[in-house]
Amino acid sequence: MKILLVEDNERVTQFVVKGLQEAGHTTDHAGNGRDGMFLAASEPYDVIIMDRMLPGDIDGLAIVEVLRKTGKRTPILILSALSEVDDRIRGLRSGGDDYLTKPFAFGELLARIDALHRRAQGIDHEHPLTVGDLHMDPLTRKVTRGDRPISLQPREFKLLEYLMRHAGQVVTRTMLLENVWDYHFDPQTNVVDVHISKLRQKIDAEFERPLLRTVRNAGYSVTADE
Amino acid sequence: MMRSSALSLALGYVALGITVLILFAAPLWYAWQVTIAESRVEILQTDAQRLTEVYRREGAEGLKSFIDARVGMQIVGERILLLTDASMRPLAGNLKQWPGNVPTSAGNYDTEVAVAEHGNESALIHVANIGSYHLLVGRDNVLFKPLQTRFWYGLSAAIAVLSIAGLLIGLITRRALMTRVHSIRQTVSAIIHGDLQHRLPTHINEDELNTLSRTINGMLDQIEQLVHGVHNVSNSIAHDLRTPLAELRSRLEELALIRPAPEETFAEIDGAVADVDRVIRIFDALLRLAEIDAGMRRSGFVSLDATDLAANAAEFYEPAAELKDIELRFSAAGPVLISGDPVLLAQALGNLIDNALKYAPKNGTIEVAVRKREDGAAEISVTDNGPGIGAAEKSKVVERFYRGDASRGTPGVGLGLSLVQAVAKLHGSLLELLDQTPGLRVVLTIPADAVVGSAPRPSLAVEPPSPKPVATNLAPSPTP
Repeated sequence: MKILLVEDNERVTQFVVKGLQEAGHTTDHAGNGRDGMFLAASEPYDVIIMDRMLPGDIDGLAIVEVLRKTGKRTPILILSALSEVDDRIRGLRSGGDDYLTKPFAFGELLARIDALHRRAQGIDHEHPLTVGDLHMDPLTRKVTRGDRPISLQPREFKLLEYLMRHAGQVVTRTMLLENVWDYHFDPQTNVVDVHISKLRQKIDAEFERPLLRTVRNAGYSVTADE
Repeated sequence: MMRSSALSLALGYVALGITVLILFAAPLWYAWQVTIAESRVEILQTDAQRLTEVYRREGAEGLKSFIDARVGMQIVGERILLLTDASMRPLAGNLKQWPGNVPTSAGNYDTEVAVAEHGNESALIHVANIGSYHLLVGRDNVLFKPLQTRFWYGLSAAIAVLSIAGLLIGLITRRALMTRVHSIRQTVSAIIHGDLQHRLPTHINEDELNTLSRTINGMLDQIEQLVHGVHNVSNSIAHDLRTPLAELRSRLEELALIRPAPEETFAEIDGAVADVDRVIRIFDALLRLAEIDAGMRRSGFVSLDATDLAANAAEFYEPAAELKDIELRFSAAGPVLISGDPVLLAQALGNLIDNALKYAPKNGTIEVAVRKREDGAAEISVTDNGPGIGAAEKSKVVERFYRGDASRGTPGVGLGLSLVQAVAKLHGSLLELLDQTPGLRVVLTIPADAVVGSAPRPSLAVEPPSPKPVATNLAPSPTP
């Protein structure tokens, strides 16, 4: 993936660029709004990571707005030290696709970039999803593993659907909270983990190869790969 | 002085009073002048006509003796009569000669004439010409002058009384106001200088200043509470952030000093990251609290269903309860529309259920219930059968960073109930902590949605929601 990082803090930049490199992505970096705007407008990127507050007279949200007005559809993840819900709404309204509050865990950033990239390639709500021998039909809401039907509660279905749409990627607990439950707070106890283990019981318990895996220090992933 | 509002108000009233008086007096004056003067002239004309008829009937001699008789009969001065011949020689009457300031041509004149023994007197004069004779008929104004004078005196006196009384009332009011404003000013400047305990003086009566003082006192109570809160919070932050930061610091310092094997180093680094996460969590909670306290979230209010909200929260925590062998029940009679912030209410409800999960015993029960009160408000309650909260602790548990004895050894930073209370306050309600013997029943009452048909808040989730073929979160699905 080719990624543009617009960020003025050197330490954060170093940390993100290095991490993205290790994950196999190429990263361009701009340290201020002017360079960021120029690069974002002229080069083709898969994902743009945009800091909200930048030195100089062009801030992150302004760049996002200009890019959207000129018809650029590149997925943008907004980074911000402002955590209030209203700031989040403002960020998404200006044309950002996702919003991550600083400080963040690198795993969270990486998972969200992957999700954005996947989303940009289009979500198909109608076609059946398949991971290994696990099948899900979003229309009939039937889930089968091998030839055995699996019965899921509505919320479990939504959880599995989200995981399967991001098959092969890491999905963090925060992403699950936001997208499956529409919750925007930290529930303190490990409730998401409990939901996952319940789901795991239904789809993995009686099968040889587990599909729903825990990724240490990051989240979960549904994958058929070894 | 003129800038005093009480005084200028009083002066305004005085001016208004004078205007009203003049508006009342002017038509009266006009009517008097016109009507009375006209009828007096008429009387004089009738007089002159009668005399003319006497002349026609009896000739000049007859008229002369008639006038003489009249003059001899009447009170001198009340009626003025004079008959002269063509060369202005007086023939009969009570004037010695034709007054110089009265023309000889026929007409009416209001002027001064010299009446015998009386000197000059103001009089109304009618002049008529009979043949070659000149006739002067008049009446003095002695009866009318005092009336006129009394009218003017009365009017002036009324204006004077009005002005003086108005000025006095203005001055007195101003004095009274200044005294009270002064005491308010003194209190306020004491408050400005940092002494928040002062309150404005109030009386029993409900006048404007008193109402204002009461309102300001209410505001001061709130400010004092906030300042007190901020003070407490900063103390608590200092304490509660210091602990994980101290741990983090010693962990890192130890790493630098000992330089252990890579395996152990990585484990220590993971521990350090966890320490930082703990600090961040405290920060997030505090920022959220500050955000709520500032009242900024009121803009996020939408119409929403309390039952739906509570059902989702109960469903969310159900597996966690199951894991602890706690039965989590949900009951509701039907949808209850309220106006509120869905993000904050979900978090508040989450905190309540999370708390209940912490304190309910193994094999215990937690009940989440939504009830529609008679006034339409939603009463959301979370009941557990844990140890409950002692009466002494009840007011403390909602304080920031307070952690009760029962919470020792459980995770958390002591901000959960503070947040619930802040959310309740934002929604114009209070958090009630009730005894359940055994256990605790927490009741959150959210007022009914006043605005019907406000648009539901769009989901904050990043991905577009998939089409909902099944009523996932539409029906209050009671958890098994």
